[in-house]
Amino acid sequence: MSTEVTAPAGVVIEDLHKSYGDNEVLKGISVTVNPGEVVCLIGASGSGKSTLLRCVNRLEDPNSGRITVGEFEATDPDVNLDAMRRQIGMVFQQFNLFPHLSVLENCTITPRRVLKQPKADAERGAMHQLELVGLDHLADRRPAQLSGGQQQRVAIARALTMKPSLMLFDEPTSALDPETVGDVLGIMRNLATAGMTMIVVTHEMGFAREVADRVVFMDQGVVVEEGPADEVIGSPSQPRTQDFLRRVLNPLGE
Amino acid sequence: MALSNRDRARLSLGIQAGIFVAILVALILIIDWGAVRRSFFDLENVSGMFPEVITIGLWNTVQYTFFGFLFGLLGGTVLALMRIASFPVYRWIATIYIEFFRGIPAILVFIALGFGASLAFGLNLSTLQTASAALAIVGSAYIAETIRAGLQAVPKGQMEAARALGMPAWRAMVTIQIPQAFRIVLPPLTNEAILLTKDSSLIFVVGMAGSAAELTKIGRDGILQYGAGMTPLVVAGACYLLITVPLSILARRMEERSPGKSSRRRGKKKATESPVTAGVK
Repeated sequence: MSTEVTAPAGVVIEDLHKSYGDNEVLKGISVTVNPGEVVCLIGASGSGKSTLLRCVNRLEDPNSGRITVGEFEATDPDVNLDAMRRQIGMVFQQFNLFPHLSVLENCTITPRRVLKQPKADAERGAMHQLELVGLDHLADRRPAQLSGGQQQRVAIARALTMKPSLMLFDEPTSALDPETVGDVLGIMRNLATAGMTMIVVTHEMGFAREVADRVVFMDQGVVVEEGPADEVIGSPSQPRTQDFLRRVLNPLGE
Repeated sequence: MALSNRDRARLSLGIQAGIFVAILVALILIIDWGAVRRSFFDLENVSGMFPEVITIGLWNTVQYTFFGFLFGLLGGTVLALMRIASFPVYRWIATIYIEFFRGIPAILVFIALGFGASLAFGLNLSTLQTASAALAIVGSAYIAETIRAGLQAVPKGQMEAARALGMPAWRAMVTIQIPQAFRIVLPPLTNEAILLTKDSSLIFVVGMAGSAAELTKIGRDGILQYGAGMTPLVVAGACYLLITVPLSILARRMEERSPGKSSRRRGKKKATESPVTAGVK
């Protein structure tokens, strides 16, 4: 069983700046993600990785710079945001499933209300995605009755029902119990294998190393180092990257 | 002497019980129970109140409250949306309305509609129209704040998830945020219904025909009519309880099984009580 990915989109970010008041969070970020590529953003909390990710689908408005996603120019003030966002799936740290809807309704509500799919079609599509994440047997449950890992898998299925050409993951496993992390990462790996363009903010270095085509290390609003996963994580060239990885991979020190 | 904690707890209970019994005995001896019965529970002499107190009084109270609450809910929802609108003029208008009608006594609104409306505009409102309009005007101000608090109590991630899926803002509001907000505010809204039930009695300042009389009016007229002391008021009061007690039981039930909002914090449900129930009024 595998996901089919139709037309993965590329992402080009050029000289992106974002401030909250006097606090400049992104200080001129440029990153290119080719169609079908998996890029992991790593770095300490507050380095700006989540903000960067949220600028891509304009949950945050950058102050200057340019972002293009496939045929959309995300930073154009006149861009059709809703149409663009339908092409971009997003998975949140806290899942953000709709608690008043069943698992199945979570996955059908947008196809039905926004894409105007007939109920039966939307349900068939949703059940297919739920099967792929192994949760079709829980379709009638409420999100609150699911474990964190299950909720996150539903959130991925929900995003995929929109047939996106880019997936954004914002620390998708940070809020999970350790024993459920593997299921979620496994699904993400399948998605990567199927050719989805993915930008993943993560602290899972094992996942980044195994799945990512490229890793981007950010610190204090700038890209410090980027390159193939093995290179950046295995033999980082910048002192800041080395320092960060030493602390992440070996938290107790020596 | 050293008392163990258990002894102390027993002693404390014993003292409380002793005081209670002493007061009870004193009351039984002091109070003239015959007089109490004659002025408050003289049910034989007020049998004439039935069945009208139910078929007219209770029924009218329910009607006035129902329509007042219904239109108050509609108006309150609109005001709540205005309060959080991006167009500042809407926010100002809603804030002024809410502050004004929460700040003045409800009875002024009843007087304004009952007398002022006909003097100023030549409007001749029926009792039902006057009562439910007044309740709707006052109720919507309170309900607006409750609903606004409910809308803001929906975690921000809900709106973000909906928008990220490609829902337009209005669609996300209608499909995701408002339904969750209503679930959160059902208990405080029920309390609002209870308050409106009681406030419907204020229509007495305007006066009304016998067929439009609600419970308080019937109780007041009964005092003059039956010479049974305050018994008619006790009957009317009991009728209010027939409405309000089931409502508050309903509110408590809903509060107990309010929706599991677990998308914010995994695993831990309802660590704190809903921010809406506390501090709305």
